[in-house]
Amino acid sequence: MKCFSRYLPYIFRPANTILSSSCHTEADIISTVEFNHTGELLATGDKGGRVVIFQREQESKNQIHRRGEYNVYSTFQSHEPEFDYLKSLEIEEKINKIRWLPQQNAAYFLLSTNDKTVKLWKVSERDKRPEGYNLKDEEGRLRDPATITTLRVPVLRPMDLMVEATPRRVFANAHTYHINSISVNSDYETYMSADDLRINLWNFEITNQSFNIVDIKPANMEELTEVITAAEFHPHHCNTFVYSSSKGTIRLCDMRASALCDRHTKFFEEPEDPSNRSFFSEIISSISDVKFSHSGRYIMTRDYLTVKVWDLNMENRPIETYQVHDYLRSKLCSLYENDCIFDKFECVWNGSDSVIMTGSYNNFFRMFDRNTKRDVTLEASRENSKPRAILKPRKVCVGGKRRKDEISVDSLDFSKKILHTAWHPSENIIAVAATNNLYIFQDKVN
Amino acid sequence: MEFKLEAHRIVSISLGKIYNSRVQRGGIKLHKNLLVSLVLRSARQVYLSDPCPGLYLAGPAGIPAPPPQQLGEPAAGPPAGWGEPPPPAAGASWADTEPQPEGSAVSEAPRVGDAVPEATVTGVGVVPQGGAADAAKAAWSRVEGPRQAAAGEAEGPAGGWGVFPLGSRASRRPCGCPLGGEDSSGTPAATPRAACCCAPRPAEDEPPAPPAVCPRKRGAAGVGGGPTSFPAPGSTPLKKPRRNLEQPPSGGEDDDTEEMDTGNVANLISIFGSSFSGLLRKSPGGGREEEEGEKSGPEAAEPGQICCDKPVLRDMNPWSTAIVAF
Repeated sequence: MKCFSRYLPYIFRPANTILSSSCHTEADIISTVEFNHTGELLATGDKGGRVVIFQREQESKNQIHRRGEYNVYSTFQSHEPEFDYLKSLEIEEKINKIRWLPQQNAAYFLLSTNDKTVKLWKVSERDKRPEGYNLKDEEGRLRDPATITTLRVPVLRPMDLMVEATPRRVFANAHTYHINSISVNSDYETYMSADDLRINLWNFEITNQSFNIVDIKPANMEELTEVITAAEFHPHHCNTFVYSSSKGTIRLCDMRASALCDRHTKFFEEPEDPSNRSFFSEIISSISDVKFSHSGRYIMTRDYLTVKVWDLNMENRPIETYQVHDYLRSKLCSLYENDCIFDKFECVWNGSDSVIMTGSYNNFFRMFDRNTKRDVTLEASRENSKPRAILKPRKVCVGGKRRKDEISVDSLDFSKKILHTAWHPSENIIAVAATNNLYIFQDKVN
Repeated sequence: MEFKLEAHRIVSISLGKIYNSRVQRGGIKLHKNLLVSLVLRSARQVYLSDPCPGLYLAGPAGIPAPPPQQLGEPAAGPPAGWGEPPPPAAGASWADTEPQPEGSAVSEAPRVGDAVPEATVTGVGVVPQGGAADAAKAAWSRVEGPRQAAAGEAEGPAGGWGVFPLGSRASRRPCGCPLGGEDSSGTPAATPRAACCCAPRPAEDEPPAPPAVCPRKRGAAGVGGGPTSFPAPGSTPLKKPRRNLEQPPSGGEDDDTEEMDTGNVANLISIFGSSFSGLLRKSPGGGREEEEGEKSGPEAAEPGQICCDKPVLRDMNPWSTAIVAF
């Protein structure tokens, strides 16, 4: 691991140009970002149902300064809009989550999901093609058998690299409500999908049935008080998973205990601070993302204003709480009006679990170093992202005199929000999705 | 008192969101609607718990509500930054998904809002979410506008309106009845309806209309076919996407006159609350699911099962149907 600046947790600089679509439409808005297990590939999903995969260039001696840039590797349409005729509902094609499977052969596999259907995609390369068929000519047209006088053995000849994505499995019709999470189990044979009220366990090989392992739907829907907001398997224990709720609680379940894990094994909840009570207390306490640390010892949760780190061994309160943008606490009513209060921010760990990152508004994103307790606010913008420039820390002025480089709270652009970020599993490379733009930053190379 | 206004504003915004959620692409989002219903319930509790419901101007400060500093921006006006145009996505989605009648309601809402004498321009401008809140406010304003315009002078001396910082939404009262009727000499109290401008339009006046998007044309006077003597700005034929907001049950006016001004708001909240099946229950049960949550599953509740102590609500077929259609 490189030694980073003494002054800041990390100094990031853009690795290459910003990757974005040429025309900005609603369909181009990035809705999920995910590195694969090696960090070689980076997948993004957008509102239009497309998946774009970037691959890191191999480092070459000739271009030392261009250390492993990410270029487009494959693009495919994962989901299409559908219509549920029975309920007269349109099903959005927006990709809610992408999760990679660990690589087991030359091909790459990933799961992508929209609100209702999960698909397993195989992404494979083809750099050879067979030539010399007997019954077909080179264009594929059938040859007249009468003209065939000799037989030949087809041979494989090199061709331009072609990356093709094929849907290998479609896991459909298992969710009544909107899927918000998928998580691959550490056994690499099963995965789970979670919607607002239920969590289902799938086997990759079986598409026509799934096991329901969590069901919080009340018998009387009028008594509904909370929904599931996120779920994830433990990184090492294939029997353990957690799910978060809209009430700000996290439940850890052990699938060995019973088939239906309605009774949690552990229940994580922090008592509410009564002095902060407002109309919107319930909304801002709703957890939008939950992530296990790589070690499996901790879980991190994101609610509207904070990021919290919990120790699995302590249920009554988090061990760390980081304020992401507490200056918004006095603006909750306005944020409620313009729906920003419902934004679901994600959070990520770095490879060593020492730094956590999450997004904010005005294209700001925040990093918190758990060891040094230092934090930094950075901005993902074209103006600040010239190649090989160093990102300058930003600061929001919450009151009083505004310094020269500070931004006042009222000047924040709430339409520019960073909801989705990803951190390379082993290196300090981060991917930040800002609306329809994807920014990739690397740490400074000494 | 400020809390009540804030609560009122939040209630109307919440109702607008729930209404708007019906036409959002991808179906109704259970999580968001649950959160909105929780806010709605909290705001409603604050609103109804105000010990001096009618006396906006003379209300004492004894409000058993959450402490003031947590209630949004009670004293500060909408910050300048919030006067920004709505996010393009929101605006676009509103324009794309809303059917025409509601679109016209949106376009009319600012007109109504602007016309309210005490309204500040920013009050209209701060609604980023386009139509939803506008539709709600528009509906409210049609209930309140004529009365308020008439009673404006009466309330002027009390200075109550001018100080409200929350913009047009805050300056609208749900029902200006008692003050206008009791205190003002300028109020045209001669009309039999003067007691409450929010007097419900009798149910039989309303032809049952298909739910969801069919607007109901209002009379020239706006509210309740009332007398045109009300100088109601913008009350000329307005399309109303939510007819039932002006149609609290006549049974709801059985409350004493002291409660009359809030009776209609309470009724309106009751109408919505009852359709949320549990918001009105006294038993603590946390947030309540709207009908759409039930509708999305096979166990859809019948409209008749709505928790409601006003039988006349069951006669409100169009709205019940709309709720069920959620």
